[in-house]
Amino acid sequence: MTAILKTRGLRREFLTKKPLFGAPTVVRAVDGVDLEIETGETFAIVGESGCGKSTLARLLVRLIDPTEGEVWYDGTDIAHVPAVKMRALRRDLQFVFQDPFSSLNPRMTVGALIEEPLHTHGWVDRSARKARVAELLTRVGLTPAHADRFPHEFSGGQRQRIGIARALATGPKVLIGDEPVSALDVSIQAQVINILEDLKDEFGLTLVIIAHDLAVIRHMADRVAVMYLGEIVEVASCEDLFAKPRHPYTEALLAAIPIASVGARKAETRLSGDLPNPIDPPSGCRFHTRCPYAEASCANERPALTDVGGREVACHRVHEVQLKGLAEDAPARSPAAQARFQMYRAASAEKQKPNP
Amino acid sequence: MNATPPLLSVQDLSIRMGGTKTNLVDGLSFDVGIGETVCIVGESGCGKSLTALALMGLLRTPPLHLNGGTALFDGEDLFRLPETQRRQIRGGRMAMIFQEPMSSLNPALRIGEQIAESVRRHQGASREAARTRALEMLERVRIPAAEKRLDEFPHQLSGGMRQRAMIAMAMANDPSVLIADEPTTALDVTIQAQILDLMRALQSETGAALILITHDLGVVAEMADKVVVMYAGRVVEAGPAASVFHDPQHPYTIGLMSSMPSLGARSEKLVTIPGVVPSPLAMPEGCRFQSRCPFAEPGCAMRPVFTEIAPDHGVACLRAPLEGTLDPGLRETGT
Repeated sequence: MTAILKTRGLRREFLTKKPLFGAPTVVRAVDGVDLEIETGETFAIVGESGCGKSTLARLLVRLIDPTEGEVWYDGTDIAHVPAVKMRALRRDLQFVFQDPFSSLNPRMTVGALIEEPLHTHGWVDRSARKARVAELLTRVGLTPAHADRFPHEFSGGQRQRIGIARALATGPKVLIGDEPVSALDVSIQAQVINILEDLKDEFGLTLVIIAHDLAVIRHMADRVAVMYLGEIVEVASCEDLFAKPRHPYTEALLAAIPIASVGARKAETRLSGDLPNPIDPPSGCRFHTRCPYAEASCANERPALTDVGGREVACHRVHEVQLKGLAEDAPARSPAAQARFQMYRAASAEKQKPNP
Repeated sequence: MNATPPLLSVQDLSIRMGGTKTNLVDGLSFDVGIGETVCIVGESGCGKSLTALALMGLLRTPPLHLNGGTALFDGEDLFRLPETQRRQIRGGRMAMIFQEPMSSLNPALRIGEQIAESVRRHQGASREAARTRALEMLERVRIPAAEKRLDEFPHQLSGGMRQRAMIAMAMANDPSVLIADEPTTALDVTIQAQILDLMRALQSETGAALILITHDLGVVAEMADKVVVMYAGRVVEAGPAASVFHDPQHPYTIGLMSSMPSLGARSEKLVTIPGVVPSPLAMPEGCRFQSRCPFAEPGCAMRPVFTEIAPDHGVACLRAPLEGTLDPGLRETGT
């Protein structure tokens, strides 16, 4: 397998507003990230708010410039190519935003919105563009007639489909979604997840999904990177990560997920305390202030992300602690209820067949 | 079941927007017992938050108004009480926690003052006594350095700490009913777990009843004694949590549970509920779920009766139990 996107020592700093006296404070939102995203995989980046996952996503397609470090795509360091060249590369690297309400221009029709990137990327033939818009709308489960409407006429789920159609317009190779389904209701979320997965297969996309919802990641991702305060603490295949986490933070995240089955979760491995302020992150291992396994030495040295049996973990005590993953139990249901779920699956597939 | 009357009994609650012909909340009934947790679950627009606001007497009228129903609390119908009495109850014997603590706390008042204000208002406590009570409450919701936090403003607290402060404020007058509207939705998972733990601990300390409004079935499974599933303003299924999760009956409940990505072994494709919730202006006659239901039939144009299908477990679906109405083979072997 080959890496389609690769970062080296990626770092992004933001300055806080300049105070009346003294210098503004530096926030390291992304602090030294090395990642390799492989062609055709679904790669997920997970973490809590303020961990820098959205900043990382934006760096991957250079929606913002890094302070330091490189982002390699197709033999080019896109962090340092001239703007003109970057524009051409954008054809391959597209982005889906979280909030379908604020990411679509309310004054443009859906058709114009989807057509715009085509225009930018040299589709000069107007009728070809229109045909492409119609095709894209159909692909995401809308109809060509929707092209003449405005974003406010659509529901959240439909708007997210429009955002996806727009991102797909130029035929990208990599699609990056920053919390693409987290603003949606559960039933709508499932529809959009299915669309993303279908499109991935159909267009041979590489998907990078930023999310905080571990269930969504469990369903979609092949590999997962866990971020904490600007750093990657663990990278592993999705199966391994959920079954047997190796970083204490991953374990704590898994233990915190509410499971939709009565009595499934026991209160244990609860993290105490809040996420520390990213302006002034803890010394050494950044997780040591909340880590139930931390020793005095964890505060001294920053652990490097190292290869541990086919995955990467940044923890000083990785060989000493035994961590717990999630059991793969299906929710306990009565036999009759199981029959009902089967019937529902069959009936809803049937219902959606003629009129997708 | 126990013979003691419920602490709060809501019957046939309907809420309507002025000038429209559809009830946004339509005939909602449920009981909450002492120390019990009832979860109202549903997606955006199903009327779960309106229900909470109506119970607290905080509906924005106009344009919204009650269109029938009673809420018996301590032998009195909340909806018939004059505003002065409701004000006594609100924040006193009934308190509420909102989703977004930043927008429901007063940004210009110190945390301690906000908590003390409600203590003075409801208990007639002196300034000092109220401040002591505020400190005690902050300690009870396990806010570190509570003494110092007392004099801080909401913006100086993190999201999780703000939600703790909200809970402290709500619990300051020992309410017997606490209504929490999506209290952890705005929080990260690790903080959510802390807040849920805290609410459970406080509940067992004080014996307060909890009405928890959420869209997250995971939170429901963890917290609920009883579950009320709402769709488009109506209860589609309700019952003891164990029964609803073990033996869900309504196609909507089943669809909702199926469309959640599972944390276990990966399934090929998510089952979805096709379509979207109908607009309140174009609500279908009869069952409101019929436009999205894979089992809908002509009879669904009649409003389904809420029927008990197991002890205390009811469902509003013509075709429940599904396996009985659809597959005669299963029915013969099943019962």
